[in-house]
Amino acid sequence: MNENTFFDYLDLFWFTILPYVALFTFFIATIQRYRGEAFTYSSLSSQFLENKIHFWAMVPFHYGILTVLFGHFIGFLLPSQLLAWNSVPIRLYIFEITGFIGAIFTLVGLFNIIIRRTSNPRVKMVTTSTDWVVIAIIIFQVITGIYTAIFHSWGSSWFASSITPYLWSIIQFNPEIAYVTSLPIIVKLHIISAFTIVTLFPFTRLVHVLVVPNPYLWRKPQVVRWHWNRKKIRTTTFEIKRK
Amino acid sequence: MRQLKLKLLTSKVKIAGANLILLLLCTSLFAQVPADYFKQNCVSCHTIGGGRLTGPDLKDLSKRQEREWLVNWMMDPEGILKSGDPYAVKMQKESRGAVMTRAPGMTKPLATALLDLIDEESKLEKSQFAGSQISDRPLLQEDINEGRALFTGTKRLKNNAPSCVSCHVVNSLEGLGGGRLGLNLTRAYARLEGRKGLSAWLVSPPSKTMSPIFKKHPIDEEEILPLVAFLKHETEIDKPENTSAMINFLLFGIGGAVVLLVLFDLIWNKRFRAVREPMVKGNLTK
Repeated sequence: MNENTFFDYLDLFWFTILPYVALFTFFIATIQRYRGEAFTYSSLSSQFLENKIHFWAMVPFHYGILTVLFGHFIGFLLPSQLLAWNSVPIRLYIFEITGFIGAIFTLVGLFNIIIRRTSNPRVKMVTTSTDWVVIAIIIFQVITGIYTAIFHSWGSSWFASSITPYLWSIIQFNPEIAYVTSLPIIVKLHIISAFTIVTLFPFTRLVHVLVVPNPYLWRKPQVVRWHWNRKKIRTTTFEIKRK
Repeated sequence: MRQLKLKLLTSKVKIAGANLILLLLCTSLFAQVPADYFKQNCVSCHTIGGGRLTGPDLKDLSKRQEREWLVNWMMDPEGILKSGDPYAVKMQKESRGAVMTRAPGMTKPLATALLDLIDEESKLEKSQFAGSQISDRPLLQEDINEGRALFTGTKRLKNNAPSCVSCHVVNSLEGLGGGRLGLNLTRAYARLEGRKGLSAWLVSPPSKTMSPIFKKHPIDEEEILPLVAFLKHETEIDKPENTSAMINFLLFGIGGAVVLLVLFDLIWNKRFRAVREPMVKGNLTK
């Protein structure tokens, strides 16, 4: 097998086989986990254990990642409209800078997540090795994305004309990997890492993305009150235990 | 507990099974029609009977070199050049140092089919691959202006291809400049040896990144001349590279992030007051 053929097969693996492994694992495992262990569908929040660094970790991270993902979804769902928007240079620059700020926000958030999870003993106690895998792979994803935004601009335009048809070809079970095989290595690593995240998604706390309590945004406020004597309740429980 | 373990094992087996079926399904590669393949991958550097572009005119190719050599060359041109083959070195010299790269998805049967196609086309009085028929008329200022609009995207390309600025830059662009995925095209007109070579490139861009996109969204014939005019103008004025564009982009991003973080702190500056702050303070003073 010569060098070129080897790389052809490698591309075939990363851009044809991995996406389907990722998508099928995602669909089967998320459904299975929800059916078998619905109560594990949670972000496993540790906000009660520490709330100061938590603000500088979670808020920038979530605003950042949502902005970046929104940009990617626009490119995926409305490629032609995005190209039309980008046809005026100032609009292209606004779109790109917004995405770039989102990526920096995500990185700042991740940096604070690491500080919080390594410095606070209580949070450290509830951090699992799976959490570290998730943090590591998201950091890799964000750094390759930032590198791409700076050195391989303008991603919003070429995403719409190169990555979008590739992703749709995957969905239509007719993979056209020629769209991506000649992209720079960092961009290819960014795509591979994205499919890896999709593969790992059902086995990590990332599943909380699927159960975001969106109605909290518009439902009426609820006041929770205790209608019994808490002292009495505790005493009773204690006495029951003693017996 | 045992049942739960068994259940987990069964689910993992199911997932692995589904993925295995998928691996078996994903084995199809591409079947190519030689004429389409030639159009997409060869015409930007070669004609059949239309004269030399970057690469040699391929008319009567089989009279110049043995078929086995040609098939090996198409399979691995860079390897043959590295081996110091005298005919390959001679061709490279004639092409002013340009190196032919292995075309995507090239196989021995495809190479043989392409050589058959070249033989058939060589017999014709005028091959369909004799080169693009771009007008020889003088290039005007209007052509340059239209070319600039097409390059920057302010005028969309007819067949919905992305504008050149998505991936390329020319040094005269201001603001944050053009894209940096592809090459700087300031000297593209010179690199591709003028109007004929550049037009052939634009008719069917052979770069591996551009080829799949422009196969479905080709540049319209009427758009090629203005783009050639614009790129010729860029080569002629040959402005120095705008190195501040990337730094400005970085500064806008980092500056914007800092401003927003300060804003977030101001918006949520009461986040530890009311209920939590007195409780936290009370706890600390004990």
